[in-house]
Amino acid sequence: MGFLIKVWAIVVKDVAAELHTREMVSAMLVFSVLSLLIFSFALDLRGAVAQAAGPGVLWATVAFAGTLGLSRSMAREQQSGCIDGLLLAPVDRSAIFFGKALGNLIFMAVLEIVLLPLFSALFDVPFLLPGVLLVVALGTLGYAAVGTLLASIAVNTRAREVMLPVLLLPLAVPLLIAAVQATGGLVEGASLGEVGGWLQLLVVYDLLVVAASMLTYNYVVEE
Amino acid sequence: MSIPIYLVAAYAVFWAVTFVLVFSIWVRQRRLQQEIANLAARLGEPK
Amino acid sequence: MGEKRDVLGLVLTLSSAVALMVALGMVFLYAPREATMGDVQRIFYFHVASAWVGFFAFFVTFLAGIGYLARGERRWDILALSSVEIGLTFIAMTVVTGSLWARPVWGTYWTWEPRLTISAVQLLIYVAYGMLRASVEGPERKARFAAVYGIVAFVTVPLSWFAIRWWRTIHPDVMTGGEGMAFTSRMGHTLLVSLVAFTLLYATLLRQRIKLERAADVLTRLRLRAQSIAK
Repeated sequence: MGFLIKVWAIVVKDVAAELHTREMVSAMLVFSVLSLLIFSFALDLRGAVAQAAGPGVLWATVAFAGTLGLSRSMAREQQSGCIDGLLLAPVDRSAIFFGKALGNLIFMAVLEIVLLPLFSALFDVPFLLPGVLLVVALGTLGYAAVGTLLASIAVNTRAREVMLPVLLLPLAVPLLIAAVQATGGLVEGASLGEVGGWLQLLVVYDLLVVAASMLTYNYVVEE
Repeated sequence: MSIPIYLVAAYAVFWAVTFVLVFSIWVRQRRLQQEIANLAARLGEPK
Repeated sequence: MGEKRDVLGLVLTLSSAVALMVALGMVFLYAPREATMGDVQRIFYFHVASAWVGFFAFFVTFLAGIGYLARGERRWDILALSSVEIGLTFIAMTVVTGSLWARPVWGTYWTWEPRLTISAVQLLIYVAYGMLRASVEGPERKARFAAVYGIVAFVTVPLSWFAIRWWRTIHPDVMTGGEGMAFTSRMGHTLLVSLVAFTLLYATLLRQRIKLERAADVLTRLRLRAQSIAK
């Protein structure tokens, strides 16, 4: 029980810090819209092409905006010296990991709450189906978990935030493939059963990645 | 049998890359041994 | 630093040389000419063998990472980075030979078929690992971060393999002799020998690379000693 309280405390701290300035989520949002624009011009997205490309563009945008948010969140943590304070306090390391990951998940979720209706309208694709929301939730969960771990590493490198996409994206391949395929299937009218294989892959990915991140996070922050 | 150029190219790639790797390790090893010998001599260490 | 004979190294070098020769002989003389693709199909054996080594080397890095985090000893880190360097070379070979195979068979230098795609992903992971090591300061930190990345990255590799497989199936189904390649038992033997030969080659190169890294450590220690004497 104490564990959950600690996790929640960290989440609240992160969210409160963000609410104070709102700079990170707004930057992610603006970036996403710009990214959408670029994709539209680059791929000449209109009509049927737009519908076919919709799921892919959505997830690509979420992935890139996600790296922005993750990097920023970790950099802010480091700048404020907060992480040192947390580490000195008698808080279990995995509580810190869950807290930070959950915070990052929330930021990405806020982004998606805005993006999904926007993309639905622009691409004329039903992204707000419950099945799609499930896929988005599963995908974001895994991405936030492994992203939090890797961002903690990246922020300690010479290249800093630039390192994160390099580290994260190859590892996100199974997640992105499964998410795009499942989303694509669902918006074309497939039932949840029909995309069940992709959903299973997402769940397995999430479980493995959360476990691996949680177990190794300790070794990243020990100093 | 007619020998397709791509087949030859692929096996050439294999041999070339393996050779480059082996050579690279060998060269680095030589340089290191050299430097170690120099330093050891200067420090009067027994080899 | 003694000049004693490296018996194991010698044995490995000789056996891998022999095995490679045998494999090569089998590829060109024993394996049959494939029905649909012709002689170009012979690329398959060394292409798959190098893909196997590319994957196996990363598995070794994964284990070495766990070893390092558990024990904190430098030799685990040496194993990890050595395996990455060898593995990276082999996976690059896989991608290039795969491309050279794709061109005559499918008319394009690149196809998103499962093995080629997963090799490309692994290549990128290897590169990311290397960039991470290069970007971290301090040997202990470098080893620690690299170990963590090696572990988590490897966990995603089988998942990538499944995802990519389900996503694309242009590639011939080797085992059942799908639309691309008619697989016979002689091909199976040749492939097996190639796999063994490449594994021996991997072990040989790995050993040499580890020796190289140990020598580098010796040099570093000597340099430190020279520095402290100079003060």
